[in-house]
Amino acid sequence: MKILSMSTATNNLSVALNDDSKIIAEKNEYDARNHSSHLDPLIDQILKEHNLKLAEIDRFAVAIGPGSYTGLRIGVTTVKMFASILHKDVVGISTLQALAASCAEEGTLIVAGIDARNDNYFAGAYINKENDWGPECVIPDGHYHIDTLLSAVAEYCADNNLENVIYVGSGFEKQEETIKKTNISFSFGTEKQNVVHAGLIGKLALNAQPDDPDQLLPNYLRRTQAEIDWHNKTGEAYKPDSNYVEEV
Amino acid sequence: MVNKKDIRILAFESSCDETSASVVKNGREIESLIVATQIKSHQRFGGVVPEVASRHHIEVITQITNEALKEAHVAWKDIDAIAVTYGPGLVGALLIGVSAAKAASMATGIPLIGVDHIMGHIMAAQLKEEIAYPALALQVSGGHTEIVLLKDPTHLEIVGDTRDDAAGEAYDKIGRVLGVNYPAGKTIDEWAQKGKDTFEFPRAMIKEDDYDFSFSGLKSAFINTYHHAEQIHQNLNKYDLAASFQAAVIDVLATKTIRAIKQYAPKTFIMGGGVAANHGLRERMNHEIANLPRNLQPKVILPELKLCGDNAAMIGAAAYNLYQEGKFADLTLDADPSLELPYASEMLQ
Ligand SMILES: [Zn+2]
Repeated sequence: MKILSMSTATNNLSVALNDDSKIIAEKNEYDARNHSSHLDPLIDQILKEHNLKLAEIDRFAVAIGPGSYTGLRIGVTTVKMFASILHKDVVGISTLQALAASCAEEGTLIVAGIDARNDNYFAGAYINKENDWGPECVIPDGHYHIDTLLSAVAEYCADNNLENVIYVGSGFEKQEETIKKTNISFSFGTEKQNVVHAGLIGKLALNAQPDDPDQLLPNYLRRTQAEIDWHNKTGEAYKPDSNYVEEV
Repeated sequence: MVNKKDIRILAFESSCDETSASVVKNGREIESLIVATQIKSHQRFGGVVPEVASRHHIEVITQITNEALKEAHVAWKDIDAIAVTYGPGLVGALLIGVSAAKAASMATGIPLIGVDHIMGHIMAAQLKEEIAYPALALQVSGGHTEIVLLKDPTHLEIVGDTRDDAAGEAYDKIGRVLGVNYPAGKTIDEWAQKGKDTFEFPRAMIKEDDYDFSFSGLKSAFINTYHHAEQIHQNLNKYDLAASFQAAVIDVLATKTIRAIKQYAPKTFIMGGGVAANHGLRERMNHEIANLPRNLQPKVILPELKLCGDNAAMIGAAAYNLYQEGKFADLTLDADPSLELPYASEMLQ
């Protein structure tokens, strides 16, 4: 199965071609500032270099979130359209699972996170088990304050007799002093591990359940501030988004 | 004209709070038009929240694309170009349309055309009647108030614009004071029909001999009058307030536009944008133009009411003109939130 995968979730723009479980090619633009302009040309380039047409791709995969809201929408819109038009599979993969998949360590808790500023993180924890489809989520992806995240990590390690934690992603180094207080031995991901790789998204996508392109949406992990303020002010319940959009 | 092939364009529009897709034939004929509006959502906040808008756009983008094709009874192979609004507008919102159009272009091999949203509004007129050039357009919406000279179908120049608030923005702001739900234009227009111009609000810049506008003074005068009355527990007639506000807006728009028509002697006069649906403004412009000397009377095209608001059909109309000129975009096309039509050289002096 030929899989084209991409991540526009962080400032690393990544595109990859996989054939079953093998990564054939991966292109990265580190610290890219303009995913909108660069994504399609990068896809075009990787396909041309491997003599493939978009229509020959069997499955499209994308980092579904968390990540930059605008960035996520660029990638998700792109694969939604590809899959919808070409009648192919589409799969959304957790950005955090993809980060965790860059760590091969076993018996180690892998905490994957994206800096959400003010000591908050979009984060989740994963563990490599004996399977061929990738790290398994043990602390769900969410929007956590660093203190909340670290107590969940400490609790999980205590309950499961884990003695090592690896923090991978962005913004964890500045928490070094706080992390030390957990009294669990830890390390940080390498520069390479700390960026999202589309090739790993492709690998995770191989065994994932395909989504309906119409239903595939970014996993923001947070409501907009306007909705939170409205909810707090009016006490009204959040309704499904479809209640608010109507064809005229 | 023998066997001239029909040109069919699939167009996208997502610059603000409507997600729209449309199939337009030869820049003139709407074969399908799907508009998903988010007004209900933004009414919770009293105005458009950009992040909420972007989230809604992506929820419906593939569905409206398929519906537009289905309603037009066409398939991708029947489409000659894919068009999309790339600015001006809300960047996150624009990016959904731009990403979708580029992905569609890549998946199908159909060429891509990037369209200026304002050019689209003006070309809504082309969906009603053929435009004779040169033409002059009054473009009035929540974000823009401009007098635009159309030298030909693709060369548009701004000859006057607002120095501060757009006319539609002023409507929304005074609407908020009167407790009218966003968007307020339609209600204020209805109230205005029932009231009289008794407050004599200022007509800013009406005497100046350029084609520029300013609406923030009017907005402030309105709000001060309203709050002053509130403080002294005086009840003002909301219909008269609406009529007075609307009269001030329309006076300035009409006076300046007529002056521009006299100077540029266009063959066609066009109105575009959400405020072009305002009944008071439509009547006034028709009336003023009918009173011009015969040789100065342009043909008047006021777009259909449902095509004054944001929609993809107008983008398809404008894209057809760009198609004829071979003005295509490539895969690097990006959203440009502050895209502007060029200013006429006399504006730059
Ligand atoms: Zn508009």
